[in-house]
Amino acid sequence: MKKIALYTTIFALFGGALYVAVAAGKTGAATQPAEAQAATTEAAPAQPAAAAETAAAPADAAKEPVVCFESRKGASEVTQREIRPGWPNVKCSPTTGAALWYGDPFDGTVPMGKMPGLENIPEGHALVKPRSEKLAILPMCATACHNGVGPKFTPPTLPKDKKPTPIPTMEGLLPELKEFQHGRGRLWCLDCHHTTQRNKLVDNFGDPIDFDQSQLLCGKCHGDKLRDWRDGIHGKRIGEWASDGKKRWFLCTECHNPHNVQQGERNRGFAQLQPEPPPPLPKGMPDMKHELVHPVAH
Amino acid sequence: MLSLSSLMGTAALMAESDDAQAAIEWAEHFQKNYRLMTDEEKAEARARLEKRYSEEYGKQVTVDTTPAQPGVLMGYALNIRKCIGCRRCVHACVAENNQSRGKNRPGEKIEWIQVLRMERGKFDAEKMNHGYPEGLGIQVGGNAYTPVGQVLEGQYHYTPDLVPEKDATYMPIACMQCEKPPCVKVCPVRTTYREPDGVVVIDYNWCIGCRMCMGACPYWARRLNVTNPVLPKEEMNPVTHYLGNRPRMRGVVEKCHWCLQRTRHGRYPACVEVCPVGARKFGNLLDPNSEVSLILARKNVFRLKADLNTFPKFFYFYD
Ligand code: SF4
Ligand code: SF4
Repeated sequence: MKKIALYTTIFALFGGALYVAVAAGKTGAATQPAEAQAATTEAAPAQPAAAAETAAAPADAAKEPVVCFESRKGASEVTQREIRPGWPNVKCSPTTGAALWYGDPFDGTVPMGKMPGLENIPEGHALVKPRSEKLAILPMCATACHNGVGPKFTPPTLPKDKKPTPIPTMEGLLPELKEFQHGRGRLWCLDCHHTTQRNKLVDNFGDPIDFDQSQLLCGKCHGDKLRDWRDGIHGKRIGEWASDGKKRWFLCTECHNPHNVQQGERNRGFAQLQPEPPPPLPKGMPDMKHELVHPVAH
Repeated sequence: MLSLSSLMGTAALMAESDDAQAAIEWAEHFQKNYRLMTDEEKAEARARLEKRYSEEYGKQVTVDTTPAQPGVLMGYALNIRKCIGCRRCVHACVAENNQSRGKNRPGEKIEWIQVLRMERGKFDAEKMNHGYPEGLGIQVGGNAYTPVGQVLEGQYHYTPDLVPEKDATYMPIACMQCEKPPCVKVCPVRTTYREPDGVVVIDYNWCIGCRMCMGACPYWARRLNVTNPVLPKEEMNPVTHYLGNRPRMRGVVEKCHWCLQRTRHGRYPACVEVCPVGARKFGNLLDPNSEVSLILARKNVFRLKADLNTFPKFFYFYD
């Protein structure tokens, strides 16, 4: 019994010594970052000053909101703002300007219109970002030019064949029409756009489809893709992962350019874009050439 | 008995100290393995960490301890045909998960996702008679040395102006959340383990930095904090999980945990949300209507290095 008591005292002392050593080590470690921090805070005023200078030079630019593109360039965008202190709705890439992180996945969305096959999703859980807001000339289409009045329309005449006639004004407004490329030359405007209501798309019955429901149009031909999109396999959704969760559904045209689908060198559905920066090189490697050396020649 | 008394000895020392910082460090030093902690001890650890991080980063930091939800087995699928190699997932992960992002010293910048660029090979009539050794006719086949399809011999540091390149495919890799994780088998302090919802996590406080798991993982998923992590205050994500993205210390290993701080609350992982082509899919494997279950039912699916019997819950698929 005495022996045990002796051991315990020894261990108590030893434990104490151990603690002291640990504490000393930790405080030593703790003071170091504090010093480093002090150093950075000392250096910091210089940096903000420099930052302030660059920010002050284009004073308006500082106020100008940061806008980043979401899927592809030229489609949906999101404007950065603070939801709560230190919590932005989105973070943008300083390199490419792409959206890199979502603080609020439902920013600027509206409920998606009805669509067959989505009956099981609770009301208000399927959201989309309205495309019509992004398409700048859309409100004018049916009023300014394709308004159904004018000499050509009395008596009403429709084009006799499906050979698109280049209209300079139209091409001026939408330059990408010059490289129109969809269906390998076997499609023309009115296969997708409504004949008399030009700010609408058209379904198989000739009835108008809203621009915010482009999937109903695209699904006319790409039925397999529509099915996969509906089931969440094709395309992009952000928000909640549960199968009946609240999600923002990305629409077809947010990722694909309908007027130039096989864009880019790779001839695939998605346009080429600038990649984000690569990881740091391994220690001692001046460049990435080592990656190109194959163990076997070919 | 013996260790108890030694604890008492240190406790006696502690009682004399009124340094709050030391008390926190002491409590942290003698904290139990997370799996053995009672709910009260977890709450205590959580409060302590929240206080420390909030002070350190100058904003209200939360440390979540939400456990796995019943009926959930998380799964992930990636469409290998769609990935364009843009690396947005890599950077979204860093923005979300508080990795070290220093620029000056090696090992200060940590990324969990790696995007491999792989050449597309082809069969070539000209190479019919080539072989190894050269000049002796076909010993080891000619065309066999032009890789066709995917080979795990890739480039991480590709920097073309535009992706995808014409003759390349891209294969992002990160932790596969194996059902039979070799990393868990080798951990000598059992600080890395599989949670009931399938995610393999690390209790950073118990990690001793021995790097056994890094050697065991066949997917190069684990990273060691060689230096003190560099995490600027304004970039720090204040919404954290104890087993997930809370700030790490020097000398501990970290890896992808499928954004536990998000997914335990129903939100998609950060990489899923930024992938511009929608190649990344996440869901509950036990729900037959989830995206991942439907992919398994309908698409051509493979797991990386399936021959190692690690049974990843990260699936690659193609249309
Ligand atoms: S991928 Fe590696 S780190 Fe992840 S569970 Fe498997 S063995 Fe462990
Ligand atoms: S964000 Fe998507 S497309 Fe880009 S590299 Fe990651 S998985 Fe591939």
